[in-house]
Amino acid sequence: MSDLHWLTASEASRQFAARKLSPVELMTALLARIEALDPKLNAFIRLDADAAMAAARSAEAEIAAGRVRGPLHGVPVGIKDIIDVAGLPTTCHSKILVGNVAKADSVVVAKLRQAGAIVVGKLSTHEFAIGGPSFDLPFPPARNPWNPDHHPGGSSSGSGAGVAAGLFPLALGTDTGGSVRNPASCCGIVGLKPTYGLVSRRGVFPLSFTLDHIGPMTRTVADNALLLDAIAGHDPGDPGSAPSGARYFGRMLERGVRDLRVGFVRHFHELDKPAHPEVTAALEDAARILQAEGAEVRTVTLPSLNEFAAVNRVILCSEAWSIHAPWLRERPGDYGQLARQRLLPGAFMNAGDYVGAQRRRLQMIAAVEDAFRDFDVLICASSMDPASRIDDVAETLRTYPRQSRTPFNVTGHPAVAMMSGLSSNGLPLSVQFVGRYFDDATVLRVAAAYERGTGWHKKRPPIG
Amino acid sequence: MDKDLIAKLAHAAGLDKALAEFPDDVALAVQQAFGNQDAIAYPTDPAVEPWPPMRAGAGL
Repeated sequence: MSDLHWLTASEASRQFAARKLSPVELMTALLARIEALDPKLNAFIRLDADAAMAAARSAEAEIAAGRVRGPLHGVPVGIKDIIDVAGLPTTCHSKILVGNVAKADSVVVAKLRQAGAIVVGKLSTHEFAIGGPSFDLPFPPARNPWNPDHHPGGSSSGSGAGVAAGLFPLALGTDTGGSVRNPASCCGIVGLKPTYGLVSRRGVFPLSFTLDHIGPMTRTVADNALLLDAIAGHDPGDPGSAPSGARYFGRMLERGVRDLRVGFVRHFHELDKPAHPEVTAALEDAARILQAEGAEVRTVTLPSLNEFAAVNRVILCSEAWSIHAPWLRERPGDYGQLARQRLLPGAFMNAGDYVGAQRRRLQMIAAVEDAFRDFDVLICASSMDPASRIDDVAETLRTYPRQSRTPFNVTGHPAVAMMSGLSSNGLPLSVQFVGRYFDDATVLRVAAAYERGTGWHKKRPPIG
Repeated sequence: MDKDLIAKLAHAAGLDKALAEFPDDVALAVQQAFGNQDAIAYPTDPAVEPWPPMRAGAGL
């Protein structure tokens, strides 16, 4: 039982049910691993070990008494520190909000507690989910478990690093321009940005109202579906929440991809932002694997990445300014430099820029919807490069925008990023699958087939 | 970009303190804000509504 930290949520749940493992044993093993590794990784802003152990004891007693709440009962989960957990600070990794103790659980955390999951603590992020990796904040930036000299992606940095390092099997991240899928890509795990409106954002500090999503981050596709099952659902308290009946997201994981029509968005990584050759080769491999499994793969064209990025930037900056203006006016020095630089442009955009970007967004949505008349799912790049060194500011600034995640924040379609190989210097490469609105289950179905066909999820970072 | 113009824009946005303490960040922000104009094919058809559209009775 020395490798308890690599158990997936699904495996842990089965072992709990068979009385081969208890939540207390699992939590004890994970807390020991966190103590050993987190000083190198900085995944946590706030570890809540005592409360987590108390919850593990409670789960153990309930399971022993036959009161099993579901597959997440007794399973540890980490929470990005822009998501409220009652009684713990939500700092957003910023000096601005140090000491901002949440009075109540966010909707997603409340749902996780109902499902019996155990909150281990609050996880590192880029400041306000936009400014990082940064060394001028009250907490250090998370690091990549595949090589701590490299960044783990962001903004859900601690979520990606912690899941990949085996500190916890499940985590929640948020995604406004790719912030679940970027750390999933950099850390070699599975990160889903669900359909816009599928998961309530009430109790989560906003970055951009019409672009923000919450998403599950896990080591396997099956765990991702379980975590999404627990957090999805309509919430009248979130204006963006959709009254969708979509659920049971893992119901098609074993179906394979035979006869699915897959659109390969090649121009993203071939023309718009030419990818690192190893990323390109891994994408071609992924398309071949789906074809070999019986899918029909054809090339499809969407609007350009550069225009998607510009539309995302105008909307994000405008909406973020409406949130941050008072602090940027009164306390500009309390932001780290990167967050300040990325939030200030919103002050100088005008109403026409914002409304125009929202109107262009509608046309871009129509273009992607057109593609889904001919295809069941899309495949494209996630990151165009492996993660750069965390101390190489120029390379980090160069590579961060080289990604094709942003289009699906603009359109709201569900998109999952996952490992597609290892670079020659031992860092994860990634691929992205995108689906129709509220068809997150098909996205995960394709991801599961790819996972089975490659086995990349069995690779472990050389840490600990 | 002209420093006086940046100062006027910053003042109009209430960012005098930011301008005094972080003039380079403010100048960069102005440049970035004005750099999106050519990157987006803004719709010219007045029938294209913004997103999300107003939906009476849908919770607004």
